[in-house]
Amino acid sequence: MSSDEQFDSALDLLRRLNPKHTSQNLQAICTLVPDLTEDLLSSVDQPLEIRRCKKTGRDYLLCDYNRDGDSHRSPWSNEFDPPLSDGTMPSEKVRKMEIGANEAFDVYRELYYEGGVSSVYFWDLDDGFAGVVLLKKAASPGGKSQGVWDSIHVFEAVDRARTAHYKLTSTVILNLSTDTEGLGGMDLSGNMTRQVEQDHPVENDASHIANVGKMVEDMELKMRNLLQEVYFGKAKDVVGDLRSIPPLTQANKDRATHQEMINAMRR
Amino acid sequence: MSSSQGTIASFIKDAPPGELSNVVTDIKALIGDQSDTTQTLDPACQQYNEEQLAAVKLPGSSQDVIISPYNSLGNGRYFDVESQTSFLVDHSTKKSSAVESYVLESQHADLVKSTLKALAAHAQEHYPSSSYGAYPTNSDSAIAVVLVANKYSPNNFWNGRWRSIYTFTPGSGELEGNIKVDVHYYEDGNVRLLTDRPITSSISSSATGPEVIRQIASLEKKYQEELNRAFSNLSEGAFKSLRRQLPITRQKIEWEKISGYRLGQDIGGGRPR
Repeated sequence: MSSDEQFDSALDLLRRLNPKHTSQNLQAICTLVPDLTEDLLSSVDQPLEIRRCKKTGRDYLLCDYNRDGDSHRSPWSNEFDPPLSDGTMPSEKVRKMEIGANEAFDVYRELYYEGGVSSVYFWDLDDGFAGVVLLKKAASPGGKSQGVWDSIHVFEAVDRARTAHYKLTSTVILNLSTDTEGLGGMDLSGNMTRQVEQDHPVENDASHIANVGKMVEDMELKMRNLLQEVYFGKAKDVVGDLRSIPPLTQANKDRATHQEMINAMRR
Repeated sequence: MSSSQGTIASFIKDAPPGELSNVVTDIKALIGDQSDTTQTLDPACQQYNEEQLAAVKLPGSSQDVIISPYNSLGNGRYFDVESQTSFLVDHSTKKSSAVESYVLESQHADLVKSTLKALAAHAQEHYPSSSYGAYPTNSDSAIAVVLVANKYSPNNFWNGRWRSIYTFTPGSGELEGNIKVDVHYYEDGNVRLLTDRPITSSISSSATGPEVIRQIASLEKKYQEELNRAFSNLSEGAFKSLRRQLPITRQKIEWEKISGYRLGQDIGGGRPR
């Protein structure tokens, strides 16, 4: 029997252990406490896998939301691989929106990522619909460093009169590494999650795509800035807090001189 | 070792700076606090403490002393050169006890002591808060020089650790080791910086303590400057090539007109094809 306390401890543990090992650690926890498996798989974001759609030849991304059993649904062909005769499908109306969203985010991907893979999956809710927007890109400029970016945007759209209420939870998994002779190995990896709730006017089904599109675009801009701050600002600052390049006696002397000057100018 | 013991040991090994006790608490909540859990946790914690150069306070003292593979006497007992004592360590609580006097016996005892003195001055100049040690090692053929600097700020969701571990072999003048940095940031996320710079260098085989430390200081300075450059290179290189801040048009997308965007044309800033 698993408990809420075990679930919370599993999440806390995954928030502390090396984020580069999240998938392995998640599997290890599920082996230790099998009852947690389903809840953990639907709440912990893992790097996305890429698969080629057998029917269209286009790449798509795999996640828990386009999975049914051991099969995954391609957003391009709407078919499961390996084939499933009774796989879970969105309603006709929601699938139509899903096709539009996949086309729209394919343009978004090209404009912002200039490569990579995108996939959008929608599903029906009693009072609206929900979906996930996925983006993945890998890069190794100059061969000296590598980077992989995974975006996972899960949203709910609840219909109200002439508007809809949107709740968006976004996670970006960003793994960077470099290895050179003078530097040795350096790995800067992790994930960050943010949430936002907004109301937007809805005229027709296309409005939903535009509303979600704007929210995802704003969120990614915000998160890109946040990641830049944490990865290249905060992490570097902490290293500087641990060790000072200039001798500390000199640094302290400089600070005292600086303070004296300020005091002198105030007089 | 059963597979669950291996899993638990790998979790402990992965624990970020200053968060071992949180990881242990989570593990106990996951699998239950039974006697065989402790049997698995204790050796894993010992390995973690030795590898991560855990600092403990001696009873009645405010000074930190280091736990490492180099000053282990076995059975949970370690020695400290400066205070000329040995002490027992409880690896799960990091409490020391049963202090006894300990006299260093080594052909390099003088070099160990002069290195330690120079190391203390070096640590004070470059590390706002650190613990360090120097010990004879490799069957008394070499000396180990270790330093750890920690800064924990759990209220602001970050913790950091710098470790320097070297061995100097007086016979050959070889100075080898590793500098490792570990930073964890975990506010609404989990971000980790892990670095490992292997060191291979050589100095005079008759180098004195201050000369050994002078070489170490120069290697560390060079490394930290290299690491600072690497942050900029990753930011300007891999990070930028993953996702643009704005499309090449420098404008956000007009979502109402998205179906009118033609790939290749509008994306290229309206250049005709």
